[in-house]
Amino acid sequence: MRRRFPQFYAHVDKVFDEMPVWVVTVVKELKDYWNSKMYGRKASQLLKELVSGDSGQLTGFNNDLFKQVIEECDESVHHCQALLRKMQEEGTSNQTNKNPDHYGALVHHLSLVRNKRCLMAYVYNRAEVVQNLGWTFKAKLPDAIKMKLSSEEQKYFTNHYATLQSYMKDLDLDLAVDMLPPKDPYIKVRVLEEIGYVSLGDQVGNLTMHAILFLKRTVAEDYILQGKMEELTN
Amino acid sequence: MESGSGIDDYETLISTTDADLLKRSWRNEKAAPEILQFQASLVQRSREQIQLMEETVEELVENGEDPLTVSLYQMDIDRTLFLLRSYLRTRVQKIEKFMFHIEKTAHLWTRLSRQEQKFAKRSMEDMKKHLEDSVLCKMPDRYKSHLKQSLISAEDDMVPEPKLDAFVICRTIKFLGGLPVDDSGEENPLDMYAGDIYALRYKSIKPLIESGQLDLV
Repeated sequence: MRRRFPQFYAHVDKVFDEMPVWVVTVVKELKDYWNSKMYGRKASQLLKELVSGDSGQLTGFNNDLFKQVIEECDESVHHCQALLRKMQEEGTSNQTNKNPDHYGALVHHLSLVRNKRCLMAYVYNRAEVVQNLGWTFKAKLPDAIKMKLSSEEQKYFTNHYATLQSYMKDLDLDLAVDMLPPKDPYIKVRVLEEIGYVSLGDQVGNLTMHAILFLKRTVAEDYILQGKMEELTN
Repeated sequence: MESGSGIDDYETLISTTDADLLKRSWRNEKAAPEILQFQASLVQRSREQIQLMEETVEELVENGEDPLTVSLYQMDIDRTLFLLRSYLRTRVQKIEKFMFHIEKTAHLWTRLSRQEQKFAKRSMEDMKKHLEDSVLCKMPDRYKSHLKQSLISAEDDMVPEPKLDAFVICRTIKFLGGLPVDDSGEENPLDMYAGDIYALRYKSIKPLIESGQLDLV
């Protein structure tokens, strides 16, 4: 922006420079106040955290921010009820007379509803990831992942996993195996021995020890039979 | 319809194996944004066939049959099993995603198998409890529903629904003329010939998929 409108920004800088110090301080304070107080700001931060991560990956449950949003909700309902009470005392009906208090209450109601939506979206979207953990990790979650879940989410994982297991039991079929189509023409292999440059069908590759590669099944099969590679299955 | 096409239909019908049908149902299920009718008898037949083939393989091994033949049989079993599992898995994932929507929409609910309905009910209890423990118990009185934003809402406005106007890729099985593919009001019918591939909105071709005239890919 600065580079595109140099003259404009030069002017802004000049105005700021000429402003008394107290004005600058007040502007800054107002800005901080706005940022921290604006309804729904925290909830949207919570969701930004959710979408900034890779899909299917969890970040730690943000207890702090979550609690702050809940507090904001309490505040909203408090204000909202106070205004409604005031209107009742004054005898103004919210149907006929659209007075300022009515709109005040409405703003608090809307900000509360918005916060609720955000909190629900946060929890629900995380729960969807939690549902899928069962396919990869079975009943026992690794500690690294467990740490990222809230205690409710851990409970939910256990419950939902049990539900899934009982469905499979009803079916009498384990759905958690065969996650990839069998006999894929390409397989993932780990090289167990130093093999060096060899022809891999249509190209030449350097097979160093411990390398993990995707190879044509037909090519890899020979090496696997010789014990020079192993197939990696998840 | 011409008299010839009836015979064609019959011939394709008898030459279509359950494996083909399963593959088709699996593909449709994978590509459709919403849950489709559970293919109860097809699943039943496929499972019976798998069992039969497993028995055959055991017999072949006992008789010392050529390992190649045995492995071919085994490969076939593996494939069918994969299709079956993946089919059921895809449905499970859809149920997990849209359980509240499926439960309150009668024509979707009847598309589930008995076991799936049981699974959906339990999943819903789990999810409801989780949402209540995490968020709703901390909400003020009139805002505690997991389906509505507040008591004022007339409808359930917090239920995730599948996006029915998403684009899907589909292939025609036989000629379909004058397809209304656009709901913008503009007259824009589309003629589709057998084997044509189109990207269309799921919503506009939904009935054709349900009646088996179109396949998703």
